[in-house]
This record gives sequence, structure tokens and C-alpha cells, in this order.
Amino acid sequence: MTKLVVVTGASRGLGLTICQQLLVSGYHVLALARSQSPMLTGLLAEYSSTLNFVAADLSDLENISSLCSKLVQQYGRPYALVNNAAVGYDGVLATMHNSEITKLLDLNIQAPILLCKYLLRPMLLNQNGRIVNISSIIARTGFNGLSVYAASKSALEGFSKSLAREVGKAGITVNCVAPGYMQTDMTQSLQGDKLESIKRRSPLGRLATPDDAAAAVLYLLSEQAAAITGSIITVDAGSAA
Amino acid sequence: MNIEQHIKDSLTQVAQLANCHLITDIEQDTVLLQSGLDSLGFAMLVAQLEEDLGIDPFSEMQIAIYPRTFGEFVKIYQLALKA
Repeated sequence: MTKLVVVTGASRGLGLTICQQLLVSGYHVLALARSQSPMLTGLLAEYSSTLNFVAADLSDLENISSLCSKLVQQYGRPYALVNNAAVGYDGVLATMHNSEITKLLDLNIQAPILLCKYLLRPMLLNQNGRIVNISSIIARTGFNGLSVYAASKSALEGFSKSLAREVGKAGITVNCVAPGYMQTDMTQSLQGDKLESIKRRSPLGRLATPDDAAAAVLYLLSEQAAAITGSIITVDAGSAA
Repeated sequence: MNIEQHIKDSLTQVAQLANCHLITDIEQDTVLLQSGLDSLGFAMLVAQLEEDLGIDPFSEMQIAIYPRTFGEFVKIYQLALKA
């Protein structure tokens, strides 16, 4: 039977690339995003039988429980969840508006925790499942202007390790993929000298791409990765080495 | 539907899945933590009941309530189904 994978933040950037790679590998994908992008619409036309789009605003935390119930009722028990949706507000903490701090923490940490809570349940009944939480190299390296984003990603990594211990005996693995800087919509404000400096400092002399990071997600969902849980795979072209 | 019997059947089913050994007689005053099912097993029971009954009374509650006995657990589902 085709394995069902739920991917959040699926309309662009890394989420969209993860969907593309999953579809090519034969998975059935539930793509969650607030709205469809032209790229996702194109993918839906290409993979009409194995890709479904579900409009969801994950910052609406109160609705996550019913959203998950509907997904399971309509599409069945998922094999895997990829928590990719996130926001990355750039700005020094001293002047960041409190509402932005709350919004970031809601979407980057509370929403993935709640999605794990409710989509874990069908995985528990299957005694099999995979969760991949998309972290960031910023969880460990620090970056000027990204302190709240860094806090959310560090939290996600800590959460993943403990959850891996909690659900391991039910055959569920929980891991993180921590990409370095990739050229996506989220990092478009990073240009010029800053971008060149990151490239120069990378051992491979380049940035990691969304395809590089998506490949790590695909690996964690594969049978070959059955013994990997509580781990963080860094995909950053060596920048943090 | 006899909800108490349904919950007992689901309890047996998830205990097998979770590889837990239930005590022989589950009664109204059986303390859940002494029933033989572990905490992950109870998560599975709530998940199974949600699939069967279409409700998760614990998520719908405004405050966190953890039933102590099997009878209290059954009562929560009975009340939720009546609501």
C-alpha cells in the first residue's frame, strides 16, 4: 500500500521540494499550506492521484486537533509527518514586537508539537511511523537577528529527542533535519556580502540546496533509516563543521 | 451501544498491540495505572476510541483532567457522547 506522508509548509521552498521528492519516490503526499502556490498547483496536476492539497493555517492552534481528525478520517492513518512550516522573522530582539514573538513561537514550536500529538496517535495504532521535524543550523550556531527563530528551532530539537524516547517502542522514529542557509523565499533577505561570506566559509564553497535537505528527509522516511531516531541530520555544505 | 463494554474491548485490543498484560478483572474501581496498561498504551486507547467513536473528550475539555479509575474513564466518554 502507498505510504501516506503529511508535509506542512508545502507550497514553496523546502516543503515543496520535499513533496516533489516524495512523489517521485512513490509516496502519497498530503500537502498542507495556507494556500496553493503556482508551483504546488503544477505539482497537483502532475500527480493528481497521489498528491492532495489541504488548506490549513497552522497558527490557528485551536483547530489543529480537528484538522488532524479530518485528515485521518478522509485519507487514513499517515505513515509519516514532516513538520516543515515555519516563519523566520529577522530583527533584533530589543525591537521585535511581542505579537511577532508569539506568532513565531506558535507556528514554529506549538503547531509542530500539536501536529505530532494528534498524528502520532494513528501511528501508535499502526505501531509504525516516522516524524521528521525541520530544524535549522541556527539552533546551534546562533545568528544576529534570529534569536527567537533560534529559540524555536532549539526547542524543536529538544522536543524531538525526548519524543523519540517516548514513542520508540511503538516503532515510531522522530528525527530532525537541520539545513544550513538555502536560497529559498525565507532567506531572500540574506543577500550580498552576508550571503557571500556564508558561501566562502562553507567547506564545499556553496550553500546547501532544498534538494539536498529534502534528500535527508527522504532518507529518514526510508526503510534503511529504521534504526535512526532522536538524531539531527545537518545539511549545510559543511558550514558548521 | 454499551460504551463500557466497548472501552473494555478496546482496552484488550490495545493491550495486545502494546504488548501489555492486563489484570484479569477490570472493574469500575480498578486504578488505571494498576490495570497493566502503560502510559503509551493509554494514549493508544484514546486514539482507538477516537477512531471508533469520533470523539476525543480529553482534547475537548477546557482543563486537564486525568481519570484515576476505569469507572472515571468510562464516565468521561459517557458524558461526552451525551453532549
